[in-house]
Amino acid sequence: MVEQTKNDKKQEPGPASPPAIVEVRHLTKRFGKKVVLDDISLFIAKGRTTVVIGPSGCGKTVLIKHMLVLLRPSEGEVHFEDRRIDDLSEAELSRVRTRFGYLFQEGALFDSMTVAENISFPIRQHYKVKDWRAIEDVVKSKLAMVGLDGFQNSYPANLSGGQRKRVALARAIALNPEVILYDEPTTGLDPIRSDIINELVLKLERELGVTSVVVTHDMKSAYKVGDRIIMLHNGKVIADGDADYIRNHPHPIVQQFINGQVSEDDLAVLRMAGAASAAQFLPRDFDS
Amino acid sequence: MIATLGAKAVQDVVNAGHFGRFAWRSVLTSMRSCTARRTYPLVWTQMNQIGVRSVPVIMITGAFVGMTLAVQAYDQLAGMGLEEHLGVLINISVVKELGPVLAAVMLAGRIGGALTAELGTMNVTEQIDAVRSMGTDPIRYLVAPRFLACLLLTPVLIIYADLLGVVGGALVSFLQLGINSRAYWGFSAYGVDLWDVAIGVVKGFFFGGAIAVISCYKGFTCEEGAQGVGRACTEAFVASFISILALDFALAVVSKNVYEVFWPLKSLVG
Ligand SMILES: Nc1ncnc2c1ncn2[C@@H]1O[C@H](COP(=O)(O)OP(=O)(O)OP(=O)(O)O)[C@@H](O)[C@H]1O
Ligand SMILES: [Mg+2]
Repeated sequence: MVEQTKNDKKQEPGPASPPAIVEVRHLTKRFGKKVVLDDISLFIAKGRTTVVIGPSGCGKTVLIKHMLVLLRPSEGEVHFEDRRIDDLSEAELSRVRTRFGYLFQEGALFDSMTVAENISFPIRQHYKVKDWRAIEDVVKSKLAMVGLDGFQNSYPANLSGGQRKRVALARAIALNPEVILYDEPTTGLDPIRSDIINELVLKLERELGVTSVVVTHDMKSAYKVGDRIIMLHNGKVIADGDADYIRNHPHPIVQQFINGQVSEDDLAVLRMAGAASAAQFLPRDFDS
Repeated sequence: MIATLGAKAVQDVVNAGHFGRFAWRSVLTSMRSCTARRTYPLVWTQMNQIGVRSVPVIMITGAFVGMTLAVQAYDQLAGMGLEEHLGVLINISVVKELGPVLAAVMLAGRIGGALTAELGTMNVTEQIDAVRSMGTDPIRYLVAPRFLACLLLTPVLIIYADLLGVVGGALVSFLQLGINSRAYWGFSAYGVDLWDVAIGVVKGFFFGGAIAVISCYKGFTCEEGAQGVGRACTEAFVASFISILALDFALAVVSKNVYEVFWPLKSLVG
C-alpha cells in the first residue's frame, strides 16, 4: 500500500510503524515557471506527529495545503486512506475535509463573525443543530483548551495576533478531526503559551489518537512534539527521521538550520551590504 | 510581440472558460439552495445589506431620470404641438429603458463594489480557503446567497426607480411645464402597456444576476494586497456595466420578437 521511495531508506515504514493515513506521491507544484515542490514523496503515519521544518519560503505551507487539496498538484498524487483525493471534485472533497482540521498560518478567521461563531461554524455547517446549549458547551471547551474561555463574543479584529492564532486552532479542532494540519502553531506566541500548545498537540495525539502534521520553525517544539521530523529545502526533502536522527544529521544545511546558524555565504552578502549602505546616504544627501 | 499577443489571447480564453464555469456553478448551486432551508437566513442577511440600503439612492436616480426627461423632451414635442403626449414619452422611456438600466448601473456600483471588496478581502486573507478547508462549498455558502439576493432585489429596486421616475416626470410636467394632467395621464395610459413595465422588471432579473456573478467572480479571483482588491472592484464595475448594456440590447431584440408573436393573442384571451 505504501509506495516506497528508493533513495531514502528512512521513508520506509518499519515493521512496527502504523499505516499511512495521508500519502503524497511524486508531488510537483509549480506556480508559473517557479518550481516550489519538486517530486516529493512521503507518507504521514496514522496516530503520529510529523513535523515539517525548513527555511522560510521553501514550500512548507504549499505542501500541507496539498494534503487537504486546497491546492492541486501540478504533477503527482495525494492519497487519503488509500484513496486518491487530488482528482476529486470540490463537492466530493468536502466529506474528506471534514475529517481534517487545518490551522492557517495567518489564522484566516472570519472577521465578520465573533469568536464563538467562528468556532461553531464547521459544526453548524455539518450538523443539524437543535440544541444551542450543546454548541455553546463545545465552543467553551475548545476555547478553554487554548486558554481563551471568556472571549466568545469578541471579534477577531479586537484580538492580538497570538490570540487569533489560538482561536483559529480552536476552530480547527472543533469537529474533532482525525488529522490536524498545523501551520506554525507557535509562531507569535510567548514561550509559555507555545509550550501549552505543544502540550495540546501531544494531548490530542495521546488521548484521541489524532494524527498531526506540524509545520514549524521552532526547533524546541519540533523536538518536543515530533515523532518524526522532515526537512524541506529547495523543494526537496533533505532529511527525514526522528529527533535524534535530525540532531546528528551530517548535512550542513540541516545543521545550520537546526542550530540557527548563518552560512558563510549569507554572512558575506550581509557584510557587503552593510558596508555599502553606510557609505550610501549621508545626511546632506537629503537636504537640497 | 506576436508571442505576447498570442499568450494574452490564450489567457483571455482560459479566463473566459473559468468565468463560464464559475457562472454556471453559481447559478446551479443557487437554484439548488433555493430549497435548502439553511440558506434562507443567509439570503435574508444579504437582502438587508444589498436591498434596504440601496433604496434611497435608487429612488433618487429614478426621480432625476424622470425629471430630466421631462425638461429635455418638452421642447421637441412642443415644437410639433404634441406636448400633451409628453407623458407617453417619459413613462415609456423610464419604465422600459432608463429606469432599469440606470438603476442597474447604480447597483453595479453600489452592490457590485461592496461584494467584490468583501469577497476579495476574504480571498486574500484566506477566509475562502478556510471555508473550503472545513468542507463547505464557498459557492454555496458565499455566492449563492448573494446571487439570490441580487436576483430577487434588483427587479424590486427597478420598480422603485420606475415609480419615482414616473412621479418625477409628472411633477415637472405639471408644475414647471404647465401641462394638463388629465391629458398627460390619459395619453400615458394609452401608450404604456403592462408589457412595457413587465419587460423592464424582467430585465432586472438578468441585470441582478449578471452583477452578482461578475462581482463574486472578481472577488474570488482577486490578487493579493490592497491594490489587488481595488483593481478587482474597478474591473467588476466595468465588466458589470458593459454586461448590463449588452444584456439590455439582447433583451430588447428578444422581447421585440416575443412581443410580436405573443402579444396579439391577448385580444383573443381578453
Ligand atoms: N499562490 C501562489 N502563487 C505563486 N507563488 C506562490 C503561491 N503560494 C506560494 N507561492 C510561492 O511558493 C513558495 C513557498 O511558499 P510557502 O508559503 O509554502 O513557504 P513556507 O515554507 O510556508 O514559508 P514560511 O515559513 O515563511 O511560511 C514561496 O516562494 C512563494 O512565493
Ligand atoms: Mg508558511
